[in-house]
Amino acid sequence: MRKEDQAIRVPIMSASSTGGGGGAPCGACKFLRRKCVFGCIFAPYFDSEQGAAHFAAVHKVFGASNVSKLLLHVPVHKRPDAVVTICYEAQARLRDPVYGCVAHIFALQQQVVNLQAELSYLQALLATPTLELPSPPLPSQPPPPLSISDLPSASSLPGTYDLSSLFDPMVQTSWTMQQRQIDPRQFGGSGSSSLTGGDDLQTLARELLHTQTSPQLPYTDASASPPPPLSK
Amino acid sequence: MGSGRCAACRYLRRKCTDDCILSPYFPSNNPQRFVSVHRIYGASNVSKLLQRLPTHLRAEAADSLYYEAQCRLEDRVYGCVGLIFLLQQQIHAAESQLIKTQAEIAVMKSQVQHP
Repeated sequence: MRKEDQAIRVPIMSASSTGGGGGAPCGACKFLRRKCVFGCIFAPYFDSEQGAAHFAAVHKVFGASNVSKLLLHVPVHKRPDAVVTICYEAQARLRDPVYGCVAHIFALQQQVVNLQAELSYLQALLATPTLELPSPPLPSQPPPPLSISDLPSASSLPGTYDLSSLFDPMVQTSWTMQQRQIDPRQFGGSGSSSLTGGDDLQTLARELLHTQTSPQLPYTDASASPPPPLSK
Repeated sequence: MGSGRCAACRYLRRKCTDDCILSPYFPSNNPQRFVSVHRIYGASNVSKLLQRLPTHLRAEAADSLYYEAQCRLEDRVYGCVGLIFLLQQQIHAAESQLIKTQAEIAVMKSQVQHP
C-alpha cells in the first residue's frame, strides 16, 4: 500500500497495520520480542521503528496486557486518539513519577485562575468612568496549592477533541507562559520536570499523529492540509 | 494497620504483610480506589512505581494515579488528556478576551485623554 494511499484512505494505519504476515514486527511486538501475529492490536499504532520506543514507555507504566484490554473497549476509529493519549500519559508519568500529567493539569488550572483574575480586574477597570482602580491587592500569602481532590472528573467533559491542538502555536504560547508564571514547588514532588517537559510531550503527540497519518505528511509542508479533527 | 488486609491484598487474595507497600494508600475502607488503579495500571506496576519513590511522595503519587485511572475509566479514549484540552481551550478563550479588553481600555484611555 502506497504511503499516499494510506494518508488518503486509511490515515490511521501504518505500514505494518495488520501485523505478522512475514513483515517486520510492529513496535510493540518488537519490544516484547514476540511474533507479531495477523490482527495484532498494537500494529496499527506502533510502527517497527519509533513505535518500539513509544511502546516501551506505555509498557512500563500501564503494561501491555492492560493497554490491550483498554484498546479492545475502544471503537476502532477512536483507537488512534486513545493510543496517543495513553502514550502521552505514560511519558508524563515517566518524567514525573509523582504527578504524571496531573502536574500539567495543575499548571493549566493555575493559568486559568490567573487569567480569569486578570480579566476580572481589567473588566472592572473598563467599567469605571475614570479608568482608575486601586492596584489589585497583593495577597498576604500565596494562594493554597491546588489539590488532586479539587480536580474535576473526566465524565463532566465533552467528548470531542482535536489532538492536533496539542501542538497548536497558540497552545504552545500558553504553555510557555505557564512555565514563566508557575512555581512548581507549590505542587511538591518533582513537578518542575513535567513543566519543562511540555514541549517534549507535544513533540510526542506530533510524532505519533504523523506516524499514523504518514511519516511524510508534514505539518511543515505548506501545501498539505492537516487531518480533520477526530471526533465521536 | 491492624489485623485486616488492605484493599489491594484483599482484592488480590493474598496476605497483607506489615511492609505491604500498597496498604498505606489503598485502605480496606475504599476498595474501589484500588480496583480502579489496578484495572488501568496493574498492581505490580503501581508497586514498582511507588517503590522507586521516597516515602513522603508516595501518597501524592497514589492519589494522582487514582485520579488518572478514574479519568481513563470514565473516558477510555482521552482519559485525563481530555481535561488538558478543556483547560487549554479555557486559556485560549481567556487570553482572547484579555486582548480584547486591553484593546477596549486603550481606546477608552485615548478618548479620555483626547476628547
